[in-house]
Amino acid sequence: MNVNATPNAPGSVEELIKRIKNPNDAAGGPAWQGAAACGAEAIQPLAELLLEPDMEVARSAKRALYCLTRHAGRPGADAEARAVEAALLPLLAHEKSAVSREVLWMLSEIGSDRAVAPMAALLANEQVREDARCALLRLPGERPTAALRAAFRTAPEDFKYALADSLRQRGLEVEGYPSRKLVPSRQTTVTPIAPKPK
Amino acid sequence: MLANRISRRSFLQRSAWAFGSLSVVPSGVLAAESRPGANGRLVVAHVGVGGMGMTHLANMLRFQQEGKARVAAVCDADDNRLGAAVENAGAGVMPYRDYRYILERKDIDAVLIATPDHWHAVQTVHACQCGKHVYVEKPASVTVREGQAMVAAARANQVAVQVGAQARTAKGGWYTCRAIRNGIVGKVRRVTCWHYANPVDDKPVPDSPPPEGLDWDLWLGPLPWRPHNRRYQPANFRWLLESGGGQIRDRGAHQFSTILWCMNADQQTSFTVEAQGRPPVKGLWDCPVEMSVVYQFKDPDWTLEWGQPGDKVGQTEFGNVFWGEQGRLVLEWEGGYRPANPEAIHFQLPPGGQEVYRTDEYEDFNMNHKADWFKSIREGHLRPAVDIEIGHRTATLCNLGNLAYILGRRLVWDGEKQEVVGDPEANRFLSRPQRYPYVL
Repeated sequence: MNVNATPNAPGSVEELIKRIKNPNDAAGGPAWQGAAACGAEAIQPLAELLLEPDMEVARSAKRALYCLTRHAGRPGADAEARAVEAALLPLLAHEKSAVSREVLWMLSEIGSDRAVAPMAALLANEQVREDARCALLRLPGERPTAALRAAFRTAPEDFKYALADSLRQRGLEVEGYPSRKLVPSRQTTVTPIAPKPK
Repeated sequence: MLANRISRRSFLQRSAWAFGSLSVVPSGVLAAESRPGANGRLVVAHVGVGGMGMTHLANMLRFQQEGKARVAAVCDADDNRLGAAVENAGAGVMPYRDYRYILERKDIDAVLIATPDHWHAVQTVHACQCGKHVYVEKPASVTVREGQAMVAAARANQVAVQVGAQARTAKGGWYTCRAIRNGIVGKVRRVTCWHYANPVDDKPVPDSPPPEGLDWDLWLGPLPWRPHNRRYQPANFRWLLESGGGQIRDRGAHQFSTILWCMNADQQTSFTVEAQGRPPVKGLWDCPVEMSVVYQFKDPDWTLEWGQPGDKVGQTEFGNVFWGEQGRLVLEWEGGYRPANPEAIHFQLPPGGQEVYRTDEYEDFNMNHKADWFKSIREGHLRPAVDIEIGHRTATLCNLGNLAYILGRRLVWDGEKQEVVGDPEANRFLSRPQRYPYVL
């Protein structure tokens, strides 16, 4: 998809939202592709649509948010990326985990050091802590590592294994909490066919 | 690791059958390192027994009849599929939901992985780390870093990893490769692919509880958790960029593998890529309906074009065209299910011409591809025709084609460093952190 070449980009955020809500697939379906033109201003109103009962509207809003984020992350557009990041950060505190979860992954794509602390705060939220851990792993630099290490000290025992794995991925040595990746745990109800008696 | 494997392969176990606990003589007993046992029979397990997984199972049951393999176990996150596989496989085959039970079994030499794409890398790496040879479905991986980890795991653990892009061991591919490399159409500067569109989820449904018997959490595995939706599975994972990547990662993984082979371009790992596509207007699936992707290679210079639909030149649903200085050669499909063009079949190698590797044990190209894998194990060189490094490079083409579409910009790929030049955001997409404990 070439967002720069998207025909018929919306003239305003209001128009973008109106188009996305259009129940006619031919009009509403492609509307999200014009989101990049609206910039950071569109983030809050689009995020509100993530919880729309109409699944097509919610889906379209989600795609618009990703479209906008990815466009802002292009080389040479740092100011745009920082503006989008700034608009995404308050959404991490959204009461619905469905919203904060998506925002974590968006920030994983463009987030800077500024995003680390609010993202790391969600490592204490059981609903989204795994998404927060993954999203932080995508951020470059020392700060995400330091945040994961700090979380490891206070995390509940069952989450420490995942955090220990993250720290090892970041090149740190962690005592205890060996990897569970090869430990089987799921049982089937299917039984084998017994050999015929000889 | 080496010491462990030697120890395992020289350790005699008592053979016994009991429900829930198998203890059998490993096929590697008395065999040399990296080779199946004296009887040449590999003990195998199947991970993922859906559509392609059942083809693999049928192949292995035929090898079993021929005394070349023994099917020891089958595994799937869906008990409904697993039950069907057990019925097919017959007595003595152990069913598992969790593939890690298979990896624990010392008697199993090799696994065949035919799970959704997002599982390929994790399961392959784990299997390698447990000393198993691997046959993994294409595409090898869903991110570049996964592919790198697969190559590293295969090498570190000295196992053979064959990727299931069968055309490099199929006759259609072989005739075409031989003809192109030896100048049937002169120097080739452009290769085009045509393929039918990705489908649209035009009957979307709301999220719902998973069907009875499906372990949804395990099906998701490395992916971020989300509620079940009937449009994700069983086969529909293909139409989501994160789990399936659409036609370019499915058939593209076949076609690109064949094209790289024909163009003798396995070492040409750097390129630029640009992509455009038309997203679907509704539904859960997000792969572009139509898509065009252009890759430019340098030194030698040539262009690879993925067209969905592209310019259809042949008669069948998909294929590719080699455009040479002296004409063109068409390959329908990717050299597997369809024969080569008669011109390629009748091509006479010129004096001093270059012959091309060919495994020719079976007419059936699915069987032949596995025979090639067996051969690499038997002979100990551990480099099958579509070794994981080739599979990784092919998947990199597919994945970066999709990435260029997602980001809406041209990417410059440095194959040596395995990174996108001057695009930090794109480089973040080279990995996708995985949900614990389903990690590399």
